[in-house]
Amino acid sequence: MNCHEFWSAVPEDGDLASGRHLLECPACAARYRRHGELEAGFRALAEGFRRVQAPPRVEARLLSAFRRETGREIRRPVRRWTNMAAWATAFAAMFTLAAILVRPRAPEAARPPAQHSIELALLQPQSDADGFIPLPEAASGAADEDDVNLVRVQVPRSAMMALGYEVSADRAAELVDADVMLGSDGIARAVRFLN
Amino acid sequence: MCKSPMTSAPVETDDELLLRVQGGDEGAFLALYRRRQAGLFRFALHMSGSLPLAEDVTQEVFLALLREDCGFDPQRGTLSGYLFGIARKLVLRHLERGRSAITLDIDSDNFAQPELAVLDDPLLDLTRREGIEALRRAVQALPRRYREVVVLCDLEEVDYADAAAALGCPIGTVRSRLHRARGLLLEKLHQERNPRRAPATLKPVRCVS
Repeated sequence: MNCHEFWSAVPEDGDLASGRHLLECPACAARYRRHGELEAGFRALAEGFRRVQAPPRVEARLLSAFRRETGREIRRPVRRWTNMAAWATAFAAMFTLAAILVRPRAPEAARPPAQHSIELALLQPQSDADGFIPLPEAASGAADEDDVNLVRVQVPRSAMMALGYEVSADRAAELVDADVMLGSDGIARAVRFLN
Repeated sequence: MCKSPMTSAPVETDDELLLRVQGGDEGAFLALYRRRQAGLFRFALHMSGSLPLAEDVTQEVFLALLREDCGFDPQRGTLSGYLFGIARKLVLRHLERGRSAITLDIDSDNFAQPELAVLDDPLLDLTRREGIEALRRAVQALPRRYREVVVLCDLEEVDYADAAAALGCPIGTVRSRLHRARGLLLEKLHQERNPRRAPATLKPVRCVS
């Protein structure tokens, strides 16, 4: 083994087990010794820098940046999903309300003539203290239900007619705001018209 | 059956921490930062010789990690190597802008070839204070391509694979540069010890600040 082969075989680490060449070549032995000294020097230099680290203000700045970044990243999808859920609920409520109000009804038997005061009372929507009018299909389940959701939707004025309000025909297509009380099963229980 | 009180929670890998960071976990971000910041800071410091620059680079490395398109691919190497790679690019960018205090322009293949030099004089004791300082200066004076490999592998004990990833070169190149760098350092330290025998092959230092 010549000098070149010796250093090519072990170019960077101290595992110079093939020490025969070192015994035969004083130059390589001296150089090898210096490499050992250099490695000791690296360890000492590294040890001297071991406790050197970035000042605490770097961590504080990064933490602030992280909160800004994640705040933006997290809020965005939550807001998007919240909006989607709100719209989906509103549409569901509107369709449920419309289905209840415009469902075909069995023709009523001819009523006997009644006094005028009794007829007016029947035509007036029967609302509770908050102005909610129980819907025909859901009135029975609403009384004993605590878990209800309130959704604001827009419905045509014609829906008011179905509940006994007087609406002129030329305004039947106008939209009005309404609060719909939804039960836990998603079925509309009552409605309150706002304007 | 109760668990042994000696049982400790397994240490999360960098990749596991990064996944949590990307999910918005602040604790994971802090853990990853505290695990890696010192090595990155020291690397930038050794490369630039500038504390403010090392601070900037450390901060910018982790800011880059926060970006969605940070570009880290676990298939191509470890997160540690990737972070050192970012730090290296940032340092080089700063050095090229001339923002470092002083750098040495001896990055040339014409630099002295020390491999076969026979140096009989003893070196400074590199484990003593003056010897350590001489070694630090010698490392700082190395051409950039050798300085970075010495700082990574010899001072920060980064393995060759990670160093190769950080430097964007094959492992064989890391080995050969390291070999040459050590030779250059021995030559430099020998010249410092024996100034009258210093060869004229060293180029003059140019201040670019």
